[in-house]
Amino acid sequence: MTMLMDPAPSADALALATSVREYLAETHGPEVLRRLDAASGRDPAIWQGLVAMGLPGLMVPEDAGGMGLGLEEAALIAAECGRVCLAEPLVDTAFIAVPWLLAHGDTALLADIAAGNRTIPLPHAINPWVDGGEGLHSVDPLRRLGTAPSDPPTDPHLLNLGALMTAAQLVGLAEAMQDQAVAYAKLREQFGQPIGAFQAIKHQLASCTVAIEFAKPVVWQAAAALAAGRSSAAIHVSHAKVAASDAAWAMAETAIQVHGAMGYTYEVDLHFWMKRTWALCGAWGSRAFHLARLDDAIIGGAHPIGPEHTFA
Amino acid sequence: MKLGFSAADEAFRAECADWLQGQMAGEFADIKGITKLTAKPERRREWEQQLAEHGWACIGWPKAWGGRDATLAQQVIFAEEYARADVPGRVNHIGVELAGPTILAFGSDEQKQRFLPGIAAGKTIWCQGFSEPNAGSDLASVRTRARLDGEEWVVNGQKIWTSLAHISDWIFVVTRSEEGSAGPKGLTFLMMNLHQPGIEVRPIRQINGDAEFNETFFTDARCPADSLIGAVGDGWRIAMGLLAFERGVSTLGQQMGFRNELDGIIAAAKANGAAQDPLIRQRIAQAEIGLRLMRYGALRMLSQTDHSAIGGAALTYKIQWASWRRSLGELAMDVLGQAGEVSAHADYEWDMLPNLFLYSRADTIYGGTNQIQRNLIAERGLGMPREPRGQA
Repeated sequence: MTMLMDPAPSADALALATSVREYLAETHGPEVLRRLDAASGRDPAIWQGLVAMGLPGLMVPEDAGGMGLGLEEAALIAAECGRVCLAEPLVDTAFIAVPWLLAHGDTALLADIAAGNRTIPLPHAINPWVDGGEGLHSVDPLRRLGTAPSDPPTDPHLLNLGALMTAAQLVGLAEAMQDQAVAYAKLREQFGQPIGAFQAIKHQLASCTVAIEFAKPVVWQAAAALAAGRSSAAIHVSHAKVAASDAAWAMAETAIQVHGAMGYTYEVDLHFWMKRTWALCGAWGSRAFHLARLDDAIIGGAHPIGPEHTFA
Repeated sequence: MKLGFSAADEAFRAECADWLQGQMAGEFADIKGITKLTAKPERRREWEQQLAEHGWACIGWPKAWGGRDATLAQQVIFAEEYARADVPGRVNHIGVELAGPTILAFGSDEQKQRFLPGIAAGKTIWCQGFSEPNAGSDLASVRTRARLDGEEWVVNGQKIWTSLAHISDWIFVVTRSEEGSAGPKGLTFLMMNLHQPGIEVRPIRQINGDAEFNETFFTDARCPADSLIGAVGDGWRIAMGLLAFERGVSTLGQQMGFRNELDGIIAAAKANGAAQDPLIRQRIAQAEIGLRLMRYGALRMLSQTDHSAIGGAALTYKIQWASWRRSLGELAMDVLGQAGEVSAHADYEWDMLPNLFLYSRADTIYGGTNQIQRNLIAERGLGMPREPRGQA
């Protein structure tokens, strides 16, 4: 087994992610989340905007009307979806269902997906619900969950795709919460100075930054490994899910603490990100599930250890 | 050092348990187990009056004022049995545990006559006007202004996080009465009737959809000149005296509620198989150890042989329980797994454990954040140099 280290996204992929980030920052601010929560509904214009950007077809081959890009690019865009707490089924349909259909040679729905006319709910035995359904109430008021079928699929590749894209969203969520907490720590004054001047505050934020920065390359590595079909891909995916969940979880807790009592209110936007983080930390395999996959592989010998592998 | 309760205390415990459980099985069965402080406000007021009629409203107060002269140990026992019987939180907690003791300790005889009977009867509900938008951790920087206008104080400004102000009758307010003063000097502690045109209460919605606390606006609000406790300019001393009550008995009695929550988590872990996970098992064990630590700490305080050099529990208890319970909320979610994400009822209507998770996000913030607690322990307890501060 070769262990190619390619955790840095390409310049083209980063440019694409930047354009998506700019579009979402302009069109999908916190006021949109409040509007959707109050109306407990969807706004079709948001989906149409994503379609106009071509994002549902990001991974659909060009001959079926898509852009034909890979998992690395998709993971970067998934992080942008997390950053704005997007509730549209883009990640599920375009970045999980499409590569899964492609892996199975199932091309019948791809043109419809690329055109934005079809979204795909994804039942899997790892999840007790179906994302993209209706009828269940998530702690995240913007998430649409439906009842799981009695006999859901158990395909491990689907699970890995789901866990990878969830990890990527968690990175974006964590960075967004970091931005909010840092901005507040600079603005809010107590004892005659911004609270961010106190080490008790700034050190907490610095610790979160360490966790987030070290989670990112692990996520990109997992995307590359899964894209290349490496035998170690599942291990990388589990590593990414745990690292991203831990970073986002610590960031959520710290961001509330930095905001003080304001962080406990609905008036401050933070809670939308905190609730999405809570939901996604459990989705597509809990921390316990992914840690068990890692310890099975490391102690059981499936994941080679030693310097010739770790530093290859 | 013997840690524990006497035989007389245990007899008292049986009496409390008998009455409370009887109420929750009988006339007040409809409020048993309610966790939201804002649910069924009318019935909660009736419950306050029921407690009063049977002599349980303010057991720690002197008999002369409607209490029982209960010892510290008895007050803790009552709080424990209250939680064990699944009785919902007191809507007049602030009246009984904070306003009453403050009036008893610092108020005049006339003020005691005027205010204590209403609290003891469960009829006057109180709330607390301390924090302001720019005076949170830095409480001494309050700006709400009070000036004497003939026979009345006139108050202008804004308080925030005034829990249950929307169902309360009276509020105690820390005001800046000396113009140009800064910090803890020049403050006056006033008691004001909330039912007046100069006071407006607006609820603040929480992350869990509930609205326990409020913003309270004072626009030429008025109270008689003799509404102050202590002297003009003495407000900081009174406020600190009140906060000492807040950190006293009422926090010791929480542990039975914590026990209920941890038991709920353990039951859920056994039921859904999470108890097979070695990491979950260890975290449950750690939670159990943390609860026992708090228990023994409380018993040590009650034994009155607490010789801790840094003021023991008084300084260290808040950060200990708050950090423990915030972790407990996270353990609850990890035990429930993905099922914890979903409510069987509706958006913003969750069961006990998801609610515990959301509520516990605030534990390390209210009543002094963990960061403030660490500064207090280090600066007051250990005598370390004070934190450098900017120009106030």
